[in-house]
Amino acid sequence: MASYNTPLRDMRFVYHELHDLDALAELPGYEEATPDIVDAVLEEAGRFCSEVLAPLNRTGDEEGCRLEDGVVRTPEGFVDAYAQFVDSGWNTLSAAPAYGGQGLPHALDLMVQEMISSANMAFGMYPGLTEGAVNALEAHGSEALRATYVEPLVQGRWAGTMCLTEPQAGTDLGLLRTRAQPRDDGSYAIDGTKIFISAGDHDLTENIVHLVLARLPDAPHGSKGISMFVVPKFLPGTDGGLGEPNAVSVGSLEHKMGIRASATCVLNFDDATGWLVGEPHGGLRGMFTMMNAARIFVGVQGLGLAETAYQNAATYAGERLQGRSLKGAAAPDQAADPLTVHPDVRRMLLTMRAYVEGGRALGAWVSSALDTGNKHPDEAHRAEAGDFVALMTPIVKALLTDLSSEVTNLGVQVYGGHGYIREHGMEQLVRDARITQIYEGANGIQALDLVGRKLPAHFGRHLRTFFHPVQTYIEAHADDQAMAPYVGPLAKAFGRLQRATMWVAARGLADPEEAAAAASDYLRLFGLVALAYLWARSAEVALGQLDGDERDFYQAKLDTASFYMLRLLPQSGALFSTMMSGAAPVMRFDASQF
Amino acid sequence: MAIERAAVIGAGVMGAGIAAHLANAGIPVDLLDIVPTGADQRSTIAERALANLKKAKPAAFMQRRAARLVTPGNVEDDLGRLAEADWIIEAVIENLEIKRDLYARIETVRKPGSIVSSNTSTIPLAALVDGLPERFAGDFLITHFFNPPRYMRLFELVGGAATRPEALAEIRDFADRRLGKGVVACNDTPGFIGNRIGIYWLQCAVSEALEAGISVEEADAALGRPAGIPKTGVFGLIDLVGLDLMPHVLASMEQRLAPDDPFHEMFTVPERIEKMIADGYTGRKGKGGFYRLNTAGGRRVKEVIDLATGDYGPVRRPRPASVAAAKRGGLRALVEHDDPVGRYAWRVLARTLSYAASLVPEIADDIVAVDEAMRLGYNWGKGPFELIDRLGTGWFAERLAADGLPVPALLETAAGRPFYRVEQGRLEFLGIDGNYRAVERPEGVMLLADIKRLGEPLARNGSASLWDIGDGVLCVEFHTKMNAMDPDILALLRTALGTLGNEYRALVLYNEGEQFSAGANLGLVMFAANIAAWDQVEAMVKEGQETYLALKRAPFPVVGAPSGLALGGGCEVLLHCDAIQAHAESYVGLVEVGVGVIPAWGGSKEMLLRWQREKRRPGGPMPPVAQAFETISLAKVATSAAEARDLKFLGADDGISMNRDRLLADAKARALALADGYVPPEPATLTLPGPSAKAALDMAVHGFRLQGKATAHDVVVGGVLANVLSGGDTDVTEELDEEALLALERAGFMRLVRDSATQARIEHMLETGKPLRN
Repeated sequence: MASYNTPLRDMRFVYHELHDLDALAELPGYEEATPDIVDAVLEEAGRFCSEVLAPLNRTGDEEGCRLEDGVVRTPEGFVDAYAQFVDSGWNTLSAAPAYGGQGLPHALDLMVQEMISSANMAFGMYPGLTEGAVNALEAHGSEALRATYVEPLVQGRWAGTMCLTEPQAGTDLGLLRTRAQPRDDGSYAIDGTKIFISAGDHDLTENIVHLVLARLPDAPHGSKGISMFVVPKFLPGTDGGLGEPNAVSVGSLEHKMGIRASATCVLNFDDATGWLVGEPHGGLRGMFTMMNAARIFVGVQGLGLAETAYQNAATYAGERLQGRSLKGAAAPDQAADPLTVHPDVRRMLLTMRAYVEGGRALGAWVSSALDTGNKHPDEAHRAEAGDFVALMTPIVKALLTDLSSEVTNLGVQVYGGHGYIREHGMEQLVRDARITQIYEGANGIQALDLVGRKLPAHFGRHLRTFFHPVQTYIEAHADDQAMAPYVGPLAKAFGRLQRATMWVAARGLADPEEAAAAASDYLRLFGLVALAYLWARSAEVALGQLDGDERDFYQAKLDTASFYMLRLLPQSGALFSTMMSGAAPVMRFDASQF
Repeated sequence: MAIERAAVIGAGVMGAGIAAHLANAGIPVDLLDIVPTGADQRSTIAERALANLKKAKPAAFMQRRAARLVTPGNVEDDLGRLAEADWIIEAVIENLEIKRDLYARIETVRKPGSIVSSNTSTIPLAALVDGLPERFAGDFLITHFFNPPRYMRLFELVGGAATRPEALAEIRDFADRRLGKGVVACNDTPGFIGNRIGIYWLQCAVSEALEAGISVEEADAALGRPAGIPKTGVFGLIDLVGLDLMPHVLASMEQRLAPDDPFHEMFTVPERIEKMIADGYTGRKGKGGFYRLNTAGGRRVKEVIDLATGDYGPVRRPRPASVAAAKRGGLRALVEHDDPVGRYAWRVLARTLSYAASLVPEIADDIVAVDEAMRLGYNWGKGPFELIDRLGTGWFAERLAADGLPVPALLETAAGRPFYRVEQGRLEFLGIDGNYRAVERPEGVMLLADIKRLGEPLARNGSASLWDIGDGVLCVEFHTKMNAMDPDILALLRTALGTLGNEYRALVLYNEGEQFSAGANLGLVMFAANIAAWDQVEAMVKEGQETYLALKRAPFPVVGAPSGLALGGGCEVLLHCDAIQAHAESYVGLVEVGVGVIPAWGGSKEMLLRWQREKRRPGGPMPPVAQAFETISLAKVATSAAEARDLKFLGADDGISMNRDRLLADAKARALALADGYVPPEPATLTLPGPSAKAALDMAVHGFRLQGKATAHDVVVGGVLANVLSGGDTDVTEELDEEALLALERAGFMRLVRDSATQARIEHMLETGKPLRN
């Protein structure tokens, strides 16, 4: 079974040293986020994840969820773990104090989410979806709806879901068929079938609140005719308690490749009672409110799994004795040398490490901008942070989940046959990670969002929030000899990204298919440059600390940064050439020959 | 007799505007009106009219000096001055008796062979000259200008049976070449072409909207973009014309049109309009019209009237399904759509277009004249027959019949054939006899649109094309949005230079867009700046400098032929031409500082050289620097070609074409004149004063800052500009070549474009269309 040790040192590095997120405590509402509190939260959350959640990961996967008499039962131990989770307040870290939340920054909350995903991603699905529902209700719900639903959701007594997908409507929500018929009392009758509904039913909370996309009778065709409704499993009672069961039933449980302890349901709405959230036909806006936060969360899920894969592979490679170093025996008193003497194993471990630590730095950068965007007293700062989040959300989602797939697979590879059998839990990480590339907008859709929406908007205004700091950083370190090994490769790759961006903008304007054909490669190029920037900055921090007590930690940072620059970042050249070849190699192929 | 002096009688809006425009053509003109009863100042009406002309917006005069050519007077004391005039224009009230009395008085003083014309908008010529002496009738014609006379290009010309052909030819030629008008020969019928159809159409649009409960915004959304009659929408146009004018014109038309004319259905002025006029809502000149600007509470809110209730509310942007359908399916999709707005559009177009079609040959000999009149006089994007072609003549006739509306004879003649067709690259129109004939252009008129029908360009990319316009002359046509300069245009200019030689010996830069070029493509610069692609920004600057310098030094003459806006990079390209032939309505300026940069495609350098070449200027190196600095730092924009000459954007030898349609031919002739024995200009050198001059200019800018006339970033931009124009670190003992100046421009531009305050200005301009004063 895979074990989990919270990477506290690296999290503290990212939080306090790389990004100086202690400054978030200066924002109104985040006064509590002092360095002491942050460290205490990280430590306690880490303990909870390794001691309570991680042990349920393998068993949850083996056992899966069951549908009994129309009710979903989560695997053994989940109900108890969830009760502890809520009791300890891990679900309310970044929620508003008005609803009983703790008002801590998202940047901190997302580190905790990483831990949860590392320890037991399937478990994390239940509280994770609740947060999206809270965001949508807070942003778009009427006062009455907010008064009824937000507090029990925040407090974890109730859980949330997002009911979007239907059998015929996946990525293309314009094809939705679920209907909403107004009733005389202001509520709506909801009819239809939703599939792939995560946490669609379970036994962890007393009630479940479904946010359902459906069409009103007079709805325009396509995605502009979608409205959002809140449809609870049990109708709210008069005194804040529960009333009658609603007409929502679980049709079946999906059988999945991974996250098998997460209940993925087919839900049938049969004249169920719901209430409109936001404007008629304005459901897409509500959905994006849920999605944007959720997309960053999914990126962090991928990161969490990658972390677990890395730390287990590293431990295994240090203990597993096979073969001899090519330079002669490293451990002559033993039967063989540890795997870590082998260049190719080191290549795999360093690749995993560089992606994981770089990804963590990226996630914290973007999630702290969420906090600035929410809380900064100056409107211009909020707007700029908002631009940055909008730009980077598809990158965090797609890059971190694609890398997660690569890293968890490398984890299996380091273990060899022992990775392929179930006993060590390495194959589960691969299976669990696979969904993160698909849900909340498949990664191809993320790439289209980046090139089609974020890049051209306002003549590239969103881009400024990334390109200007990086350009300024490169220029500021142009003559810094010690930084040359990091800034040199960064500058080269950044130049490629600039040219690629101009190309996408110019070509995309003339022919959107050109931009679409380049989108995935462009997103990865962008993401790798973002990691390069963060690795350069990490190296800069480390260079300043080599004389201190933690020399080994900082030296490892420098060496990982160097590995990233020399062994991973050069992909940027290939990505650049690939996308510059244009749409023709993709589009000229005769579709009938597929 | 050549027209060298003119007189206008009647100093109302039209008369005064006509006098101003005659002055724009360099003609001295007397402007006379009556003596108001009991007035001390006997010429006060004309004097006040002249004073108002000087303040008019948009400007009536093309340059201040022109106002001096207008001499105010009155018809009692100054009638004798008419003896000097070669052309006397009557523009008094639309009253037959008053006009005829006046003609009798004119006849007593005017010199033999002088021409008299009336600017009447509705009264037929026959009625005006009835009973007047033969000599008068022979010299009399109708010359109908549209408001405002400087800007509206339509000039309706009507001769009577007795009118001397030479008099008609004289005025036709003068109006065409000297006044720049589109002369349309009309038959002698009430309202001629423009008002006959135009007023019918306006009435129809209003009454149909009232009847069908269509809102002002919906009507404008339907008739504006999709139909293009006019592009601004119909109610906005009535506001501009003046609501109170409509009843007058209607009354005059009602009196004169045949009793069976369909126009008679239109003569009732709707109650809503009557009430608006009574309440002072007469249009832009009054409290507002269908639209008004509500400035209550310190905010400017554009409001619109609810036709049903008469209440004003904020303008909404309706998106009727029919208008959306028209975006994809064109005009026919609009009128075929079965929503209220689609049905409304059909009713208005059906009635207006079929009425127009029924009027040929009554009001004009051919459809070409009618289309031209509606485009030039009422700002229609396309004339009525061009619009029917878009619908299809067969479809239109069938639909009229299906709706029980009369089908005009001309549509029967067309029998499903289009009114216009292109045969072997030549545009042809359908005559009333059912035969096609070529659309003839007047001698000396050359249109790129005609050339383009004849074949393919020699080269083309997404932003510009290269055309062979005959006699060994090439033409580069820009065709980007607002004809903004971009890398593709620069590339095509280089292609053009590469094509010159052998067969081709001169190049003209000309296009038939509304604007010659509104400047460089800022969106591209902004995008590059947003991704900090400074090397690419600098490469774009360098590419522009090199291309423009290559134009200047090419061993072939290059003539720039602007009309409309020529700003920023679009002005700079002109500054590098060997000669400019400008349409009189050219608006030229180096406006870069408005977006926080400086002219850096050689424009700063060329302005220095222009002022340095100026003979009548104080000596020493400072005056050209100060002059160029003033022009560029204040972003001065010439509001006419004449003013552009004063500001040195045009040189003394550069030409001005009053008529837009003659611009290309004039530019080509100039290019050919230069081509024989052409010697390219020697690379120029400049002696500049250096840091001391910069210090002086900086001090001046700081002075403006202290007075609150310059913003913080103005000081920064001014400083960079001062450094470039004063030559950087140079001093008077040193000679700088053009490349050195270009390097300074480039460095200055790059310094500024990296400044976040400049980026904010560019972004603001792109997002709002207005400059940011930061």
